[in-house]
Amino acid sequence: CESDLDVELRDPNITLADEIFTSEEAYRQALSGVYANLSLTSLTGPGDSNIAGLDPGTGQYMRGLFNLQNLSTDETIFTFENDPGIRGVQRNSVSSENVLLRGVFSRAMFSVALSNEFLRQSTDQLLQSRGIPTGEFAKFRAEAKVLKALSYYHLMDLFGKAPYYDETMEVGFTQGEELSRTELFDLVEGLLLEARENLPVGNTSDYGRIDQGVADMILAKIYLNSEVYTGAPRYTEALNKCEDIINAGYSLVSDYQFNFLADNNTNGAQNEIIFPIANDGQTTQNFGGTTIIIQGQVGAQEQNGESLGVNPGGFGGLFRLRPQFAQKFTQNSLFVNDGRNLIISENRPIELEVTDPNTGFITTKYSNRTSSGGFGADRTFTDTDFPMFRLADVYLMYAEAHLRGGGGDAGTALNYVNALRERAFGDNSGNINSAQLSLDFLIDERARELYWENHRRQDLIRFGLFTGNQYIWAFKGGPETGTSIDGFRALYPIPAASLATNQNLTQNPGY
Amino acid sequence: GTVVDDIGMPVPGVNIAVKNTTKGTTTDFDGNYSIVLESGETLAFSYVGYRTQEVTFDGNTTTIDISLVEDAQSLNEVVVVGYGDQTVKSISGSVASVTEKDFNKGNIVTSESLIQGRVPGLSVTKGGGPGSGSEIRIRGGSSLFANNSPLIVLDGLPLDNNQADGTRSVLSSINPNDIESFSVLKDASAAAIYGIRGSNGVIIINTKKGRGKLSVNLDVQQNVTTIDNTIDVLNAGQFRNLVRENFPDRLAELGNANTNWQDEIYRNAKSSDINLSARGALFGEIPARLSLNRSDQQGLRRTSKFDRTTASLSLNPRLFEDHLKIGLNANYSNEDNRFADGVEGSAIAFDPTQPVRSHGSPYGGFFEFQDNDSSAASNVPRNPVAQLLQTNNVSNADRFFGNLNLDYKFHFLPELRLVTNLGYDRTESGGSFSRPKESALGVNAEQGEFIGNESRYSNKRTNTSADAYLVYENKLGDFGIKATAGYSYQKFENEQFTTNELLDPNAQEPRTTIADDVVLIGYFGRINLDYKEKYFINGSLRRDGVSKFAPENRFEYFPSVSGAWQISEEDFLKDSSVISNLKVRAGWGKLGQQDVPSTSDYLRRYQTGLSNQQYRFGSPITPFQPLYTNPNISWEILTEINLGVDFAFFNDRFSGSVDVFQRTADDLLSPAPVADGANFSNQGFQNIGQFDTKGIEVNLDYNILRQDDLNWNVNYNFTAIDREITRLAFGQDILAGGIAGGTGNNIQVLREGTWPNSFFTYAQLYDQAGQPIEGAYADINGDGIVNEEDRYISGNGQADVLMGFQSNLTYKNFDFNFNLRASFGNEIYNNVNSSRAQLGNLDLVSPNNLPTQVLETGFARTPDVILSDFYLEDASFLRMDNITLGYTLRDFDRSSTSLRFWMGLQNAFVITNYSGVDPELGIGGIDNTIYPRGRTFLLGVNYNF
Repeated sequence: CESDLDVELRDPNITLADEIFTSEEAYRQALSGVYANLSLTSLTGPGDSNIAGLDPGTGQYMRGLFNLQNLSTDETIFTFENDPGIRGVQRNSVSSENVLLRGVFSRAMFSVALSNEFLRQSTDQLLQSRGIPTGEFAKFRAEAKVLKALSYYHLMDLFGKAPYYDETMEVGFTQGEELSRTELFDLVEGLLLEARENLPVGNTSDYGRIDQGVADMILAKIYLNSEVYTGAPRYTEALNKCEDIINAGYSLVSDYQFNFLADNNTNGAQNEIIFPIANDGQTTQNFGGTTIIIQGQVGAQEQNGESLGVNPGGFGGLFRLRPQFAQKFTQNSLFVNDGRNLIISENRPIELEVTDPNTGFITTKYSNRTSSGGFGADRTFTDTDFPMFRLADVYLMYAEAHLRGGGGDAGTALNYVNALRERAFGDNSGNINSAQLSLDFLIDERARELYWENHRRQDLIRFGLFTGNQYIWAFKGGPETGTSIDGFRALYPIPAASLATNQNLTQNPGY
Repeated sequence: GTVVDDIGMPVPGVNIAVKNTTKGTTTDFDGNYSIVLESGETLAFSYVGYRTQEVTFDGNTTTIDISLVEDAQSLNEVVVVGYGDQTVKSISGSVASVTEKDFNKGNIVTSESLIQGRVPGLSVTKGGGPGSGSEIRIRGGSSLFANNSPLIVLDGLPLDNNQADGTRSVLSSINPNDIESFSVLKDASAAAIYGIRGSNGVIIINTKKGRGKLSVNLDVQQNVTTIDNTIDVLNAGQFRNLVRENFPDRLAELGNANTNWQDEIYRNAKSSDINLSARGALFGEIPARLSLNRSDQQGLRRTSKFDRTTASLSLNPRLFEDHLKIGLNANYSNEDNRFADGVEGSAIAFDPTQPVRSHGSPYGGFFEFQDNDSSAASNVPRNPVAQLLQTNNVSNADRFFGNLNLDYKFHFLPELRLVTNLGYDRTESGGSFSRPKESALGVNAEQGEFIGNESRYSNKRTNTSADAYLVYENKLGDFGIKATAGYSYQKFENEQFTTNELLDPNAQEPRTTIADDVVLIGYFGRINLDYKEKYFINGSLRRDGVSKFAPENRFEYFPSVSGAWQISEEDFLKDSSVISNLKVRAGWGKLGQQDVPSTSDYLRRYQTGLSNQQYRFGSPITPFQPLYTNPNISWEILTEINLGVDFAFFNDRFSGSVDVFQRTADDLLSPAPVADGANFSNQGFQNIGQFDTKGIEVNLDYNILRQDDLNWNVNYNFTAIDREITRLAFGQDILAGGIAGGTGNNIQVLREGTWPNSFFTYAQLYDQAGQPIEGAYADINGDGIVNEEDRYISGNGQADVLMGFQSNLTYKNFDFNFNLRASFGNEIYNNVNSSRAQLGNLDLVSPNNLPTQVLETGFARTPDVILSDFYLEDASFLRMDNITLGYTLRDFDRSSTSLRFWMGLQNAFVITNYSGVDPELGIGGIDNTIYPRGRTFLLGVNYNF
């Protein structure tokens, strides 16, 4: 009988879209699915991925950002250039076939698709027909919009363009129109401003969820980089947004490293971290995020995994520091006492050989140990949440926006910078004076405060140091001594598969 | 009269037709028949596998007894072709039939080994493990991304292509001794009757049936398999020297032993196989066969084993004066396995200066690398011997399968038959995986402290099928007609359970997964017409539906048409003393392919996060995410044209066939990229792409000697094949062929205009002395940068020419057989060398041993060389699959008693230029160590009484 061909879904973990939204809780779960894309690579296991074309863990959202924002700069080098795509990224010679790029582009657009699906499923009409009370939905929908804006912001920053999709478009194979960088800017800004009014004020949401602080932070970021994105400086708005965030009641945690520990959701850092990407050794397992960072920090010869809360050997020494970054702590003896200086340099030459994990300095910034010395839940998968945005960044952004003519107050700017210094040094021995507060100072200070937090490439571009030859670091552009790179490399190419499947997209110049 | 076979056993079911009339009968279970004849009428006796014999009635004789003579070339031989049978003469597609007498001899553990190398266009690549499965391909497989295994039909029951968890293969639970014949349907016109599942060709397996008086066969064999080749790695002395030269500060870490780790992980594997079968008539009435098999197979890797017990019962009663033929096959099989980890990688890399065991080691007495605090070191190879002995990975599977076939010839219209066939195949398997806390591979609770492993799994798979069809067969003057029409239904169910790692508190929770049922429904019709048994036209049409596609896309029609001309029956050739058979054939057909892993992509579905895949809103909650959806997903369509000629010369002394074919797979079910943001993945199954295969197949049989006590015949077969991807989704390359050495590296590509899975490498540069320059590649696109865009197609892993050669020689009581098999035109990427043979690997956490190739290249860094075409090697080979020598004592007790002693050598030798262990890897062509096949010495005895 042919009706037997209408089989039922048998897997208890799979449900028809029309049958899953039976309660407000189901919507909360669907919303958490949008957030989860920032941390998980699938819903079936850390070895799986809902993005094809590269290794599952390598396609994790934060790991992708780490590669494109940090690995392409002076901050770090990855030992195993036999991993596909690594060499192109860390030597600034990517092509559109580079699998790491496809991972980031597809992963970010997957977030856009998930956000749109949530908006599609949560219209008043559908809620009504499903008998769901609409009480919290203005907030839920605002969160989904900010998540969409966040991903479009990442794409604007890295690729300079992206296809447009919204919740009214048919799911399947629709080819979205290309958005230029300026159009992306307007879209991101519009979404954030629209969402903002329906969000709780900063630092008041449930931990891990989006509030006005997160929306303001993305706005502050795009305004600060507006000159790069659109050609039009908007430093005043950047500074105003920084003030909004600062006034929302966030506070620096007492110890710099608490931001990067297994209990950074409870040890006080939760008040400094504006937007964490949750990680959990038991319930939120993935091979990206802080797992790859902490496991990758472990020194091959030091076998110091246990002190970082993971197995002794970690992943065998994946990440090391390039000399030019390490020198920002080592060249001036002042920084011996800097709490942010978490470098291990014993028995290690500062100069790097890419394949030898025992050359170059390493760091212990992130850890799967808690503030009281305990361990995370697991020795492979870490508990440490990734601090995507935190207050210290806002302090430095305020100072920079001020120096770039965004208004504000010079004394306030200095105080913010010194607040970070005082925390780092434990006293005022590291404080600077107003004459020392310059843009040149800030780009290095940002490195010291925010390294390995996925900001570096964006910062170097804003300071005009990423491309060209003003600032050369080891392996920049390829050779060990580093070399100049062409201006077009300030943007990554659109991945070949993304171009091929959407005829509206065009390649970036130079590729 | 009575019909007996060549050893004097009565043969039931022999077709007896009175020529040029509609009269006929069949022999009963004692081989007896009776029929009323008029003087001058001619009786024709035909039976599968035997030459048809004709006797003209002289009007006086009251008894006509016949001894059947085996003959593969008989044109009236009946071949099973799916939902019925056909005579060889009338076949117009590409169908190969192999019966018991032509089966391969030697160490046959799984059924497909019986016909390995026997049929052109059919490739069988066996795995090395005991009882392990084979990669079986007909004409290379038709698909790029869907399942490429042929459909296997066992006594009318189409099997599932997927094996149950904890079993060795789909065929591992079937006793090869129960098999009587194989029919291989190669082209679309032949396989179209299986439309829905026939696109990779069909292998029909028929098992032995009961007949005649009681006869019992006892077959016993013993064998031992030894390792014949290992990977060339540095010995302890070479290793020490290389460390001294390159990393002198690490010399102190070396030990004093001299261990050949590959010798340590293998053993001489002993195996035995015992078969006992009895055939006869139950209660003197019901033809029956009962067979029992016990097979105990050790693997070369220490600890690996496969034990199988099977029992098969076949009953073939006939009722209502033979109007109702009943066939019942019931089989039970138990498979008991222990699996051994693939420890070749550790054995290659392990420091040869270290001992296997060290006194007082906390790791069960085995040597393991330790940190300064004496805990087991991280990121080092683990002792492969310890891994084998401390890992207990066992499974047990029960399988019941069988079918009930009812063939009813209508009383009022004997030309019409109704055949129904009900099949059932269920496997229940379970297994467990454990390691003791002494193992350095277990869950790592805290530093240096291992707590072992513990997990269990189970699997239930059920395959239910039901067919019913009507067959009308008649002769109207010079015209013959056979028409078949029917319905088929098949359902696959699959339920899996795993505990996941029980000792790891953070592991995923135990989980039961129930796959969506797959239901296939088909309506089919076939008509076979002939004129004067010289001109044949066959046509079929099938309408198929599958539950994997949306209602509007799920049904499709699959037609075929073919014809044959038996030229040798024409007057001008009929009396030729040279040409004894000549036939030309032509066929065209369409088939469908739906066997991709995704089962319900057409629906809009959500996935729920599993226990370790949650997200925290304050506390963890279970997220939902939508899944990729494609409402338009539908059939992949295969179209094939086949032209063939069959010939025999000199009274069938030299015979053979040639087939040429061209097939196109269109609307390929491809995991194609999707516009980012449009769907819920960047890739999913879509019907995009096209793939062409062309080929020629030649089969030749030659009876070199045909004398009373000296017979020698040989078979040679040849296959040449050319495959090309003609269209891919969005013209996008698809990387394939994952390799070791880096995370997520691929060495192959699917690209338009090339063979599937072509090797995709950088072009190595060489210095003037011909030495490869490390890390130096050609800048193929000339843009000044060597990056992904400079990779090029440098070869492929699939053979374009395959050959088989068999020789059977009997002299008096001796028999001597051998099989040769050859493969040409394929390359292997030597991933063992590319990921390991670099000096830098001496300087890892523990110094790793290296393949000896490093002594020639001096390469230092794996990342610089990993994707180089330097590692591509020619993988052509000639293999002596087996040689057997037997001696048979006959009639020493009473007639029909025989006793055969034999000995054999399996995998006697391989001739190849390939530098690795074995050039035969299957179609992938990537060598990152394999389970070695070894060389097997066999002894056997077969007693028939």
